[in-house]
Amino acid sequence: MNETAKKPLNGKKLTLRILLYLVVFIVCVLILYPYFAMLCTSLKGRSEIFAAKGTILPKEALWSNFADIWQRAPMAKYMLNSVLIAGGSTIIALICGIPAAYALSRMKFKGDIVFLGFVIVSQMFAPVVLLIGIYKVMMTLNLTNSILGLIFINAAFNQAFTIWLLRGTFMGISSEMEQAAKIDGCNRFEAMVKILLPVAAPGIVTTLIFVFINAWNEYTVALTLISDDLNKPLTVGINIFNGYNMIEWQYLFAASLFAIAPVVILFAIIEKNLVSGLASGGVKG
Amino acid sequence: MKKFIRKIEPYLWILPSVLLMLIFILVPIVFVFRMALSKVSRAGLIKGFTGLANFTKILSTPTFSMVLKNTLVWTVAVVGLSTLLGFILALILNNAFKGRKIARAIVVFPWATTLVVQASIWKFILDTDYGTLNTLLMKLGIIDHAVNWTPSAGAWFAWEIACGIFVTIPFVTFTVLSGLQSIDGSYYEAATVDGANYWQKLFKITVPLVSSSLTVSTVLNIIYVFNSFPIIWNMTKGDPGNRTDTLVTYLYKLAFYNGKQGEAAAVSVIGFLILLVCATAYMVATLKKGDE
Repeated sequence: MNETAKKPLNGKKLTLRILLYLVVFIVCVLILYPYFAMLCTSLKGRSEIFAAKGTILPKEALWSNFADIWQRAPMAKYMLNSVLIAGGSTIIALICGIPAAYALSRMKFKGDIVFLGFVIVSQMFAPVVLLIGIYKVMMTLNLTNSILGLIFINAAFNQAFTIWLLRGTFMGISSEMEQAAKIDGCNRFEAMVKILLPVAAPGIVTTLIFVFINAWNEYTVALTLISDDLNKPLTVGINIFNGYNMIEWQYLFAASLFAIAPVVILFAIIEKNLVSGLASGGVKG
Repeated sequence: MKKFIRKIEPYLWILPSVLLMLIFILVPIVFVFRMALSKVSRAGLIKGFTGLANFTKILSTPTFSMVLKNTLVWTVAVVGLSTLLGFILALILNNAFKGRKIARAIVVFPWATTLVVQASIWKFILDTDYGTLNTLLMKLGIIDHAVNWTPSAGAWFAWEIACGIFVTIPFVTFTVLSGLQSIDGSYYEAATVDGANYWQKLFKITVPLVSSSLTVSTVLNIIYVFNSFPIIWNMTKGDPGNRTDTLVTYLYKLAFYNGKQGEAAAVSVIGFLILLVCATAYMVATLKKGDE
């Protein structure tokens, strides 16, 4: 493909090239437009947003909106909660998922297919269908309205993805080195930690970031379980500016930018691994 | 003794994972089924077995058939159109061109953005009085007065579907891209030597070779989209009059607004069974692929 680009282009090829750039440009503009509108609105004053004659760019950038939201809402608390929920879910999902993926990729045991089958099926059920049941379990465990409860739910509902992706990663790595280590006197656990995990690091990092993102973006369960404003994560908390009678768009979008920025950056980092991860974890099995 | 330990060892390795999923996924499933078959008080207390009463109650309301139809339209429209558009976008992005890296990073954006924020921004853009779509189109001289983009429940639902498509495309695109990258270039070279044109190569080589990627993304999307709650909840809350409700928003309102937890549980079970059929089909297909 690169070679055709270097050769002088004839008429038809040139037209196709221009068409390609044009389409890519239009797609990018369409995708970026909502973010552009969000950024512009977050820098406007309330009167400018609701003015009869609307503006596209803010007349004057009101950066103070970004400072105001920290006073008008417990933004720092929301952010801390989001970090705790996403971080905690990721750690638990990996602590439980790594050994399970290891067993599925290195050992044969009765019921392994059943377990794998349940893992795949569990991926199919979003918490929203089970919300009533989840609510009851959380009542029993006294975990409603708690960050710890959300951590467990997110970790559980991300198990499928974690195990599936890590199993794919582990199966792609030869077990010879681990066996050699075992002959040298390591037990299974040491062999996994010292030999396998460092080699599998790229796959683990992809999994880790993906679970973090899922938990960070989770909305429905947090909306249902958390009633105390100070325990809300960003996705739910920012709706404090989205009242029934009056929506403070400028604050809602300023706060939203804080909610999406970390994840968009993380996603951009793993974009490349994501493609290979999807290929090894999802497609090839 | 040693033999015994060796025998149970694999189960110790999977134990933490099993416990986590048992408590937070399997037990809720059992609860939902129990509540669906019980009389449940407004406070959520189970007051005895009622058989299929909750189901007959739900199935006899005209609202439910409307909600079911909405769910079908929502799932088929979002998954179908985003699969088609996402596939085309993947073909485009698979070309080598300057700025491809940036373009691919931009395409990830809607995937990375939490749905509730995406829904809010769409609601704002579409607003008749101060939405930026009207402002933009007026500034460009395409329209001369503000247009009401959401005059009816149907229009709202169509925009919700559009928003759903917008956020679903990246997943399809990246799954297909991963499939495209694993295709051996020599196939195309051979086809070119044989005089095949672009469309022949597309339908005889590309489509068959990425079909497994497409299957995975389609099945997963059916499940994600079927269960998708934040977009509709944030834009219309399923209103007016349940006309933009899907199964999940409807059951949410039943359970947490109307205090009809038994009926909500019945809706859950119905949704659960619909998904189980999809999930089983997916599992069989995936495990089969793993054996090949």
